[in-house]
Amino acid sequence: MTLFSIALSVLIGKLAVYRFGRLQSLQPVWASWMLTGGAGIATGIGLSGCLYFLLRFLLPASAASWLYLILRLAMVAALGYDCWRRSAVDTSVPARSLRFRFIPWLAIAFFLSLILVTYAMSIVWEANPQGNWDAWSIWNLRAKFLAAQGEGMAARAWSPILSFTHPEYPLLLSSFVAACWSDVGGTTSSAAPIATGYLMFLALLGMVTGGVAALRGPFSGLLAGLLLMGIPAFLLEVPAQCADVPLACFMAGAVLMALLERPILAGALAGFAAFTKDEGLLFVAVAIVIVAALRRNALLQFCLGALPVTALALVFKFVVARGTNSLLSGATGAKVLDPERIQTVVSAMLKEVLHWNAGWYHPLLPVVIVAITLRFDRRQTRDAMFGFSVAALMLLGYACVYVVTPNDLTWQLQTSLTRLFVQVCPLLLIGLFVALKGIEPEPAAMPIAAEPKKSKKARKGK
Amino acid sequence: MAAPQASNNLLTGGGIFLSAALTMLGAFQYMDAETTRQSESRDVYKVGAQTARFAEFQTAVPQNAILGYITDVDDAQPIASAMLLSAQYTLVPRLLERGVLQDLVLGNFTHPADFVAFGQQRGLKLERDFGNGVILFKRDSAAKASGQR
Repeated sequence: MTLFSIALSVLIGKLAVYRFGRLQSLQPVWASWMLTGGAGIATGIGLSGCLYFLLRFLLPASAASWLYLILRLAMVAALGYDCWRRSAVDTSVPARSLRFRFIPWLAIAFFLSLILVTYAMSIVWEANPQGNWDAWSIWNLRAKFLAAQGEGMAARAWSPILSFTHPEYPLLLSSFVAACWSDVGGTTSSAAPIATGYLMFLALLGMVTGGVAALRGPFSGLLAGLLLMGIPAFLLEVPAQCADVPLACFMAGAVLMALLERPILAGALAGFAAFTKDEGLLFVAVAIVIVAALRRNALLQFCLGALPVTALALVFKFVVARGTNSLLSGATGAKVLDPERIQTVVSAMLKEVLHWNAGWYHPLLPVVIVAITLRFDRRQTRDAMFGFSVAALMLLGYACVYVVTPNDLTWQLQTSLTRLFVQVCPLLLIGLFVALKGIEPEPAAMPIAAEPKKSKKARKGK
Repeated sequence: MAAPQASNNLLTGGGIFLSAALTMLGAFQYMDAETTRQSESRDVYKVGAQTARFAEFQTAVPQNAILGYITDVDDAQPIASAMLLSAQYTLVPRLLERGVLQDLVLGNFTHPADFVAFGQQRGLKLERDFGNGVILFKRDSAAKASGQR
């Protein structure tokens, strides 16, 4: 039943992305499927989480649960019918099939890696089904409140009494997990947060692989996916059941959709990021600045896409959960000028990247090899700038928060820095692959029929 | 695909093969590390065990209760946070508030002690001992009247 609940939400997302995302026109076909699948999972989880939160905020538990189920079924029916109606008159040109050397081998490596990391994650799920510290003490704890029956129980998720466990944190992830529990009559099985975390990982992997493949060719896409699965510090966070991988998924999705010129979908994913973690609010601000600077034509649509859920996140933070302490409560501007704090933060951030090794293996090794092999393409500076500058501004924002935080700086860095880098590493990977050259298909395999016909004269002249 | 492309030669293939092999090695390293780590750190904070420990307490205390919270562990110790948070996680939708401001107070203890005396020192009367260090206290009416916290 938990799986049915999740599947229903994912189906809504997939249908919505299929209907409105216009991703099916991208090449290669498998990349468009991966993108639609990834963005669909992310959108489905995002939409369902927001819907459940709103219903639970406005209605008693039982009414909210029923209405949540009915609304989702209605959405599936409406979107499904619309997609079917449109597919009947689909006149799109069939895809050209280009042949690339090594692609089958890369695909095999990709799926072998996915099997390996999934097996490793299953060990974690079995050993710690309740997730790591932050998962059970923050995210799943609040999901339990949101799923609880009884008047006023959901509001306890942001009660100031819970000041020891961040009641002001955004509630998208907790709401989605609560919705899954609510669908099965309030049974708080660990299957829901485990499946949610894993699906968000698959969504991120699908979007990075498919998105890079659509932008720079299938070779680069599969390599980007492989490189993402070759970052042990990132993989550690997937079965942790925290909000960092979902946030990374929404942020990477937003950047990729902006690069693929789907600004509304990009904005919507950015909005979901804002209601997933506080860092997501920073991301929306950063993304708006970067879109305004580098893709001005898309700014209005991006903002329109981001507006609804970002507004929900802001209303939650500053109206619903007002009176609770935030991370920056008690922060003082004087700390910005403290050179010792700045040095501590910068040094910790630099060391963090170097400590991402597992034994002698460091994820930067394959990155360097790929960069040397494919080489940078100066003509892609604008797109690369887009990806890198979002990541750079996010890191700058994190550094500023560290500098002014009222908490003990060493403790704060030790307990959160790795997770912040996990959020940003897919953005850096996207920036890298967008900046590199793609790989050309096999010359002999270029479809002759697809070439424009030349006149006899032109052929003779040649 | 408008982007310029790298040549599809053997050198490029070699680089790609090497990086793919390395990333697979990274995935393998992750699997190896997790297998070792998880065998050593199963439910470190004993969160799963709290369900059984608080089972009887949950049936005795109403779901909408807001409870005070006291413990024999010093707040400065890391285990104090783990105990409070795991108790809160298990007892949802009941709310726990540090201190003895509420009429009902959960005592979460690590060692056997004179719980009656422990409560009396804080203006509390022992209501019920559930075993395993789980105690329900009630604010003493005299203490309540004098506004003791």
